[in-house]
Amino acid sequence: METVKKKRNPIAILFLAILGVFGGLQLFSKPLEGKPVTGKIEAPREVITILENSCFSCHSNQQNLSWYDQIAPVSWAVNKDIKRAREVLNFSEWEKLSPAEHQGKMYAVLNMMQSGKMPLHEYTLLHPSAKITAKDIETIKNYTFSLSSANTSTQKKTETPQNSSIVPIPASAKFPVSPNGIRYTDDFKNWKVISMSTLFDNSIRVIYGNDIAVKAVETEDFHPWPDGSIVVKSVWKQQELSDGEIRPGKFINAQFMVKDSKQYRDTEGWGFAKFSGDDLHPTGKTASFAKESCIACHRQLAEKTGYLFDVPMKVNTQRLIQNLQKK
Amino acid sequence: MKNTILILLVSLIAFTACSKENNDTDNELSRVVFDPGHLKFISNSLNPKKKTMSALYGNEKALESLSKENQAPEAGSVMKLVTWKYHDNPQYIGGTITGELVSIETVQADKAGNVSYDLKNNQSRTTLSNTKERIQYFMSYRPVSRP
Repeated sequence: METVKKKRNPIAILFLAILGVFGGLQLFSKPLEGKPVTGKIEAPREVITILENSCFSCHSNQQNLSWYDQIAPVSWAVNKDIKRAREVLNFSEWEKLSPAEHQGKMYAVLNMMQSGKMPLHEYTLLHPSAKITAKDIETIKNYTFSLSSANTSTQKKTETPQNSSIVPIPASAKFPVSPNGIRYTDDFKNWKVISMSTLFDNSIRVIYGNDIAVKAVETEDFHPWPDGSIVVKSVWKQQELSDGEIRPGKFINAQFMVKDSKQYRDTEGWGFAKFSGDDLHPTGKTASFAKESCIACHRQLAEKTGYLFDVPMKVNTQRLIQNLQKK
Repeated sequence: MKNTILILLVSLIAFTACSKENNDTDNELSRVVFDPGHLKFISNSLNPKKKTMSALYGNEKALESLSKENQAPEAGSVMKLVTWKYHDNPQYIGGTITGELVSIETVQADKAGNVSYDLKNNQSRTTLSNTKERIQYFMSYRPVSRP
């Protein structure tokens, strides 16, 4: 009798201990902060169905969590993911965004789905019903493309934009500074153009790189990009000429990416800054603004090129460029 | 004498070895960046029919000529129009990006103001283009507007 008791005891104690630890953990498991739905996304029914089924659990204030998502320590990870997901994109607070931002967010959603980055693999593993199909992506794509024509327009040539390049440049001390410390500089106007691009919002873009960045492009030194690389994207509204050709019109913004692996650890070593309008007002309220916005897409979609979207394509030969540059 | 021949021979081998290596890397596909030398970016354009984007570079004189909306470039102007094919951005649906280099056109005005035009492209045979028209086209660019 005594020996049996002795044998059972350790197992029972262990079981109770585990139960106790789990029970204790629950005391530290704060339930996810409930937030009201202030303005749910409005879209065709089939689009809403896909978003509700595959995205809303994290990207909305309408969580539909399984019981195992709510038990510590799983709940800690789940709650952290949801908090971050809502910061980046929240379908329940859609009214806080402008129509142009709605369009931008939908393109981000489409790109994330198309590239297989979202919904997260860890999520669909436990929630297989949230997986998306090729047909779902097609539905999202059609809806996203339909937004393009509705919300943006190319500026027709009515007047020549003011030529401000002749206006004397203010002292560099007056140049604005982004909340994360990146100061606007005019230097990029003397750098090489690495590529040109357009985006769905009918903008035309010219991308400059400093010498370190140009060398990194030419040698494909992307993992990681060398510290000191700076890439600047100058963005204008498209202006259409009568023959259909497009030229840069009104200045929209200048976007900076500055590589400093120590200073910008949270954003893959890249510091982001955006200076908009003629007064070059910086984007962001806190130093960590890029953590909630820029890096989310750059990290998921542009990993191959070291988190930059507009590096030159690998389609030319040095021989061709040398031949064409010959006098 | 024997030494000189030996040195010449060795250097000849060294040089040919080098140039062969260069040839190989020259023909490999790579990510190239156009070097405009002393010229600066002035403006750009996009042609949806031809699916091309072009960047216009020029020196100080060229910038002045275009800012003043002159009909012809001032003496001493140098301009280069570099044209690339563009593609859907492989990393982002909804964006396009420049790809293959198509041509480099140069317009120059010498000290006397004589304007010349030159076209280099990737076709072996250069199609004859209307020089006057192309110079006029160059002069239609205005420096980009920005703070």
